[in-house]
Amino acid sequence: MRAAALGSGAVVVLGWPWAAPRYFVFLASLIAINAIVAIGLNLLTGYTNQLSFGHAGFLAIGAYAAAILTIRAPLVPLPATLLAAGLVTAAMGLALGVPCLRLEGLYLAMATLAFGFVVVEAILNLDWLTRGNDGLRVPAARIGPWALTTDTSRYYVVVTVAALLILAARNITRTRTGRALLAVRESEIAAQASGVHLAAYKTLAFVVSAFYTGVAGGLFALVVGFLSPDSFDVFLSVDFVAMIIVGGLGSILGSVMGAAVITTLNDSLAGFQSYRPLVFGAILIVSMLFMPGGIASALHKIQPRQGDRA
Amino acid sequence: MGEGAPLTTAALAHVVVSGLATGSIYALMALSLVIIYNATRTLNFAQGEMLMISTFVGWTALQLLRAPLLVALLVAVVAAALLAWVLERTIIRRAISATHFDVLIITLGLSLMLRSAAGLLWTHDEFPFPSFFGSRPLGVGAVRVAPASLGIIGASLALMLALGALFRWTRLGRAMRAVAQNQRAARLMGISVERVYSASWILAAAVGAVAGVLIAPVVFLSSQMGLVAINGFTAAVLGGFGSMPGAVVGGMVLGVLENLAPLYLPASIKHSVPFLVMITILIVRPGGLFGRVAPRKV
Repeated sequence: MRAAALGSGAVVVLGWPWAAPRYFVFLASLIAINAIVAIGLNLLTGYTNQLSFGHAGFLAIGAYAAAILTIRAPLVPLPATLLAAGLVTAAMGLALGVPCLRLEGLYLAMATLAFGFVVVEAILNLDWLTRGNDGLRVPAARIGPWALTTDTSRYYVVVTVAALLILAARNITRTRTGRALLAVRESEIAAQASGVHLAAYKTLAFVVSAFYTGVAGGLFALVVGFLSPDSFDVFLSVDFVAMIIVGGLGSILGSVMGAAVITTLNDSLAGFQSYRPLVFGAILIVSMLFMPGGIASALHKIQPRQGDRA
Repeated sequence: MGEGAPLTTAALAHVVVSGLATGSIYALMALSLVIIYNATRTLNFAQGEMLMISTFVGWTALQLLRAPLLVALLVAVVAAALLAWVLERTIIRRAISATHFDVLIITLGLSLMLRSAAGLLWTHDEFPFPSFFGSRPLGVGAVRVAPASLGIIGASLALMLALGALFRWTRLGRAMRAVAQNQRAARLMGISVERVYSASWILAAAVGAVAGVLIAPVVFLSSQMGLVAINGFTAAVLGGFGSMPGAVVGGMVLGVLENLAPLYLPASIKHSVPFLVMITILIVRPGGLFGRVAPRKV
């Protein structure tokens, strides 16, 4: 049953570029990128209860790092560029995460919100590096002899990276580390009393979350091909929060589904820009009031767990 | 006035006074956030949008009825109170038993919806808003001050004193302070905590509406003016979140800082000042300038 679901899922994902029109291939790439961010954010918010409204800032750092590296050093292969984007962003996550250890709840939310604003201002002011408001055009990336010029080739890169990061996240959450993170979420003091090094695990969550988002930023630069500061405003951070709320806090599968729902919705509302926030606000309120566990827990209720079956 | 230009005392006084005027608005915003926080222990992300909507309603009264400005102010305050009461009773009250995180997300959703609704009703354009105060600068010796600045400072101080009196001497004020201190004990003393929730939302929205009508002539009326709430939050954090005198002082300090910073720093940094101040204060002194961090309960 499980294997069949996984298998058919894999067939759909791999066959997608042949079945779907070109634009939907691009859209699927965006979903995969947002899924990576949502997983990263969920590791932070869903697992250690640290709410961030600054993930658009992390995405921007990863995207600009990858774009500038591609422009300045065209010979660096794509995997190295993506890794570099992730590491640069993870370093920023460390720089923000350590001082933020003292904050919790709404204080942390506001500090990360402010971080997001400061990143956008920094991109505007560092125009010798980022070209400020004019935006930055990203040249096609290369893997060895191949230049990634088609939506399909970029789609496969994005999906491969997403699959690797999903597997990694599942491994993190199912081991001692994941259990420690969950313990931090349930009660910081109880976790500490059980021998969980609070500061270390909360910082780790910040760094891993920033790394995921940075890699996603690198993929964003690759897929979209053009970066400008206004693509990374605070509303993007709100979108990311909406993804994990709708999908389910503390669930990897939920993050992916939340990313798919919100990205598709965003795209279908593109022609109705003035109604978009109205719909998104309503979704946030309704899912908080009536579906607090998100799609993931709703699915759990419908489908009995393996142990429950006779 | 560029970088490093010599600054006369008179010019400096002018900058400080207009900083205090902006600061008064931040202080009012901070107060309305703190009023709700003290009662319900949650942050209302939609505070700025409620301010914006009520100011728009007041403006509509001006346009449709050709009413005097004072009537517009009253209409704005009543609209704010009604909006707050409806939102609190229909949405927030349902989630009050949930975690603060949930309520935070719900108010975030509300802020998105209110801003979008304002855009649909009144467009996203900027509108001029009449002011209570004249535009001829007043001179005190060599110091020139805009009457609007003095008016905003005066009106805000009057409102703050009224709030102070309400909290100190009225039955409702005592009930609100009791709930802020200890909800369970307050309930055991026969205080209706639910009524205090509603009262806090209404009071906070009314304060916000006054702030909106005062600031609208300066920044123009638009669906974006709710963003002033972020500065209000910074002000409240600066003074120690939860403390009302702290909110007032924090607002004033932030307003002056924001106006002084461009004189000594590159002008492009002005928009980042409140955020940099917020990050710095949160990291260095999370309890605010005068506050203490409350011990955590298990």
